[in-house]
Amino acid sequence: MEILYSFGNGLLVALEPANLMYCFVGVFLGTFIGVLPGIGSMAAISMILPLTFYLEPTSALVMIAGVYYGAEYGGSIASILMNIPGTPSSSITCIDGYPMARDGRAGVALFASAIASFGGGIMGMIIMAILAPALAQLALNFGPTEYFAVILLGLVAASAVSNGSPIKGIAMVAAGLMFGTVGVDITTGAERFTMGIPELRDGVHLVIVAMGLFGVGELIVSIRANARGEHDNEIDYANFYPSKAEWKSMIAPIFRGSGIGSFFGALPGTGQTVASAVAYAIEKKVSPNRAKFGKGAIEGVAIPEAANNSATQTAFIPTLTLGVPGSASMALVIGALMMYGIVPGPRLLVDHADLFWGLVASFLIGNVLLLILNIPLIGLWVKLLKIPYRYMYPTIIVLICVGVYSLNNNVFDVWLTLVFGWVGYLMRLFKFEPAPFLIGFVLGPMMEEQLRRAMLLSRGDATVFLTRPISGTLIVITALLLVYAFYSAIRQRRTSKTIPSTSET
Amino acid sequence: MRDFLLRLQHSAKEKHAPHAYLGALGGAGFLALSIIFIVGGFELGVGAPRRLGTGAFPVITGFILALLSMGVIAADLQDTSDAEKPDWISFVAIGGALAVFALTVGRIGLVPGIFLTTITASLPDPSLKFPGKMALAAVVALACWGLFIGLIGLPFDAFMGFN
Amino acid sequence: MKHLLALGAASLLFSAPAYAEPGKWTDEPVRIVVTFPPGGTSDLIARVLAQYFESEFGQKAVVDNRPGAGGTVSADFVADQDPDGTTLILGNNAPFTIAPTQFEELPYDAMGDFTHIAYLGASTPALFVQPSSGITSIEDYIERANTDGITYGSSGVGSITHILGQAVDASLGIEQIHVPYQGSAPAIQDFRAGVLEAYYDMVALNGDLIKEGETQPIALASPERSPLFPEIPTFRELGHDIVIENWTGVSGPAGMDAEMVETIHDTIEAIMQMEPVIEQLAKFGIAHTEMTSDEFTTFVGGAITTWAPLIKAANVNGG
Repeated sequence: MEILYSFGNGLLVALEPANLMYCFVGVFLGTFIGVLPGIGSMAAISMILPLTFYLEPTSALVMIAGVYYGAEYGGSIASILMNIPGTPSSSITCIDGYPMARDGRAGVALFASAIASFGGGIMGMIIMAILAPALAQLALNFGPTEYFAVILLGLVAASAVSNGSPIKGIAMVAAGLMFGTVGVDITTGAERFTMGIPELRDGVHLVIVAMGLFGVGELIVSIRANARGEHDNEIDYANFYPSKAEWKSMIAPIFRGSGIGSFFGALPGTGQTVASAVAYAIEKKVSPNRAKFGKGAIEGVAIPEAANNSATQTAFIPTLTLGVPGSASMALVIGALMMYGIVPGPRLLVDHADLFWGLVASFLIGNVLLLILNIPLIGLWVKLLKIPYRYMYPTIIVLICVGVYSLNNNVFDVWLTLVFGWVGYLMRLFKFEPAPFLIGFVLGPMMEEQLRRAMLLSRGDATVFLTRPISGTLIVITALLLVYAFYSAIRQRRTSKTIPSTSET
Repeated sequence: MRDFLLRLQHSAKEKHAPHAYLGALGGAGFLALSIIFIVGGFELGVGAPRRLGTGAFPVITGFILALLSMGVIAADLQDTSDAEKPDWISFVAIGGALAVFALTVGRIGLVPGIFLTTITASLPDPSLKFPGKMALAAVVALACWGLFIGLIGLPFDAFMGFN
Repeated sequence: MKHLLALGAASLLFSAPAYAEPGKWTDEPVRIVVTFPPGGTSDLIARVLAQYFESEFGQKAVVDNRPGAGGTVSADFVADQDPDGTTLILGNNAPFTIAPTQFEELPYDAMGDFTHIAYLGASTPALFVQPSSGITSIEDYIERANTDGITYGSSGVGSITHILGQAVDASLGIEQIHVPYQGSAPAIQDFRAGVLEAYYDMVALNGDLIKEGETQPIALASPERSPLFPEIPTFRELGHDIVIENWTGVSGPAGMDAEMVETIHDTIEAIMQMEPVIEQLAKFGIAHTEMTSDEFTTFVGGAITTWAPLIKAANVNGG
C-alpha cells in the first residue's frame, strides 16, 4: 500500500508538464542516438549534461534516464536492419533480428523489439518499485566469491548462444576471456600484452570489439552479397503486426527476459549485455521453438530486448542506493546528482523520496512515450532498407568511424576497430560467431578481478566458493547445467550414430 | 601473413572448396594465439593461490582455448560443407576506409576526412560511378558535420590546416 | 541549484582584487582536456570552469574527455599542442605526480613539457574501518593489524589511496593486505558487504556513511583537520607525519606567453572566488587555496620528488 502511495506521488511529480517534456526530450534523443552505431547513451548524456545544470534535480534525472533507456530501444533498430548493433547490448538482437529482416520481416522484428522493450521496461520498473530496498541489499550480499560464481554461470550460459558448432561457441567464449586480459592488470598494475602501446593499457573498449567484429565484419560480407542482389527480398512495408501465434509466443519470453534482466541489472557491472546474452541462452534451451533460433525466431528478438531494457531500469538501484555505477553512463548519472549535492547512497531513498519515486514513475511514462514514438517510426525505419546498399554501406562505415573516434577522441581506437573488423571478417570465413566472444570479453576482466580478490581475501583458500551459501548454490547450478549439457550431447550422439561426430566434447 | 593470405585466396578459387581448409586455419590461428598468451603469462608470473600473479588468468584461459582449438581443428577437418568465398577487394577497401579516417581526421579535419573515407569505402561497388561516389561523399560529409558537430556537439574540428 | 546558478549568472559576488585583468584570452574556443571519462569530480570541475569562462568572460570553452592510462594519454596529447592558450588540461596527481615515477618511459616531461598555470585545490583521503570492529583509534588499528591482519580496499593500484596505504604501512610499521578496486565505490560496496576490514577514500564522499554509522573514520591525511569533519583527527596530530592530498590544477603546453598565463590564472582565480563555485567545490570536498603560477609550478615539481619514495614503495610496476 505504501508503495502505491509513494508511486502515486511519484506519478504526480513525473506528470508535471516540465518533467513530462524533459522525459520526452530524453527518450527521443536516446532513441536516435541509440540507432547510430558506436554512439551510445554515453555521448548523448555528456551532451545534455551541461543543460541539466539549469534544471531541477528530478527533471535532470528523468531526462538523463530517458536518454539511457531510450538508447536501448534505438540500439536494436540498427541490429535488426543492418546486423550492426547500435549499442553493445543489442548485439544479441542481431542473431535473430537480422535473419528476420532478410526474410522481409523487418517490420515484424522491429515491432516485436519495441513491444518486448516496453514489456521489459515496465517489468523492470515494477520490480524496481517493489524490490528496490531488497535489490540494494542483494548487491550488498554479493562479495567477490558470489560475483565470481554468477559470472561463471553467465559464461556457461553464454557458450550456448552460438548457433553453429557448440565447441566453436565455447572456444569463442574462452578467446574472449583471454583477450580481456590485454591491458594493465588492475591487481598488480603490470602491463599485459600491450606491446608498449599506452592506449592499450586500459584494454580494448567494448564498443570497439562490438563495432569491429559485428559491424565492420558484417559490412565486408554484405557488400558482394548486395551487389549480386542476394539481399533483395520482397519486403512487406505495410504489415508489421505479428500474427496471433507470434504474439502468443512472445509473452513468456518477455516475462522470462524481464526477470533475468532485472536480476543482472541490479548487480553493478554485469549490465545489459550480459543480461541479454544469458536470457537468450536460457530461452534457447527452454523455448518450444528453439530449433528456429538463429534463423529468425521472433522469440529470439523479444527475449534479449526484454532483458536489456529491464536491466537498464534496475541498474539505477545500485547506482542510486550504493553509489556504484554499473557502467560509464551510470557514472554520469552519479556525476549529475553530485552537481546538486545529492550523494547517492543508502539515504537517497529516504531523503530524496520525491526524486526516487518521480524517477520510477517516469520510467512508466517514458516507456509509454517510447512505444508511441517507435511504433509509427517502424514504417520509416523499414523504408531505410529501400535505399540501395551502395549508398548505405559507405555511410555506415563513416558512422562507425565517428562513433569509435568519439569514445576517447583518439584515432588509435579507429585503428583497433580496423584490426577487429578484419578479424571479424576472417572469423566469419572460419564459421566462428562473434557473440560468444563478445560475452567472454565483457565478463573476462570482471571474472579475473573477482577471482583474484576472493582468493586474496580468503588467504588462498579456494573452498570459499563452495562454502559461502550464495556462491555455493550458484556453483552447483552451473555444474548441473554442464552435466545436463554433456548428457544431452551424448544422448544426441547415441541416437544419431550414422552422422559423423562434429564435436570433440 | 602474406603466404597465409595467398593460400586463402587460392583455396577460395577452387570450385566448391570444402570448409575443412579454412576451418583448420581458424582453429590453428586461435591455437597460435593461445600459445602466445600461455608463454606471455608464464613470463609475467603466475603467482601463488593466495596472490594469483599477473600471468595466471592468461595462462588458465590460454590452456582452455588451446584445448578447444584442437577440438575445433579436428571438427572442422571433417566438415565437408562448402567454404565461404572470401571477398578480398571489400576486405581491403573497408579496412582502407577506416585507415583513411584514422589518418585524416586529426590532420585535415572531420569533414574532408569523412569525404575521403566515404570515397574509399565505396570503391569496391562498381554499380556506383565515380561522380556518384563524389556526390555521396559530399552529402555524407556535410550531414555528419551538421549531426555530430552542429547537433550533438562532439569536440571535433570540422576543418584543420586550411588557414 | 537554481539559486546557485542565479547567483552565478548575476555575478553579484564577483569583485576582482588586485589582479591583472581577468578575461577572454583567445578568440578560438578553448579545449579543457579532462583525464577522466565524463561524470567524475574532475569532469564536473572542468564543466563548471567552462561554463563560467563563457558566461562571465565570454571565453568559449569545451570539455574534452581523453581518459586512459592514468591520465597519461591526456597529458601526452596536451604536451604536443600549440601553446596558444586554446588547449588546457585539468591536471592532477595521476599524470603529473605519480606517472613520472611509476612509468619508466613516459612520452612527456611533467615539468619541461607544460606551463603549469593555476592551482585549484585538493581533497583529502582518510582511513575508514568497520564500526563493528571495535577499532576507534590508530593504536587499536596498529594492534589489530599486528595480530589478525587487516585487508584494506583502495581505488586502484597506483591510485592516491593505495599510495596512502603504503605510507601508512611505512609510518605505522604495519603490513596491511592491499585489495585494489576500480574506483572507490566498489571498494565501499565490498566493505559494506563485510568482506573488507578497512578502506581509504576521500572523506567528503563518505559523509552520509559516517552519519549513518556505517563506517568509522580513523584519521585524515590532510595537514590540518577538515572544517567539514572537525571530529576526525589527522595522522599528523596522532604522531604520524602523513600528508597525501589529491590536488587539481590547470596547465597548458610548454612555452605559453607569460601575459596570457597571467590572464588565464587570474580568470580562473576570479572564478574560484565566486560564492557558488566555492559552494560547489565544497560539495566535492575540495578546498581552494590561491597559488601564483610560479608557486604552482614549484608545487608540482615538489610533489614529484616528495612522492617518489612512496610510489616506489607501492611497487607499482607499470611502464
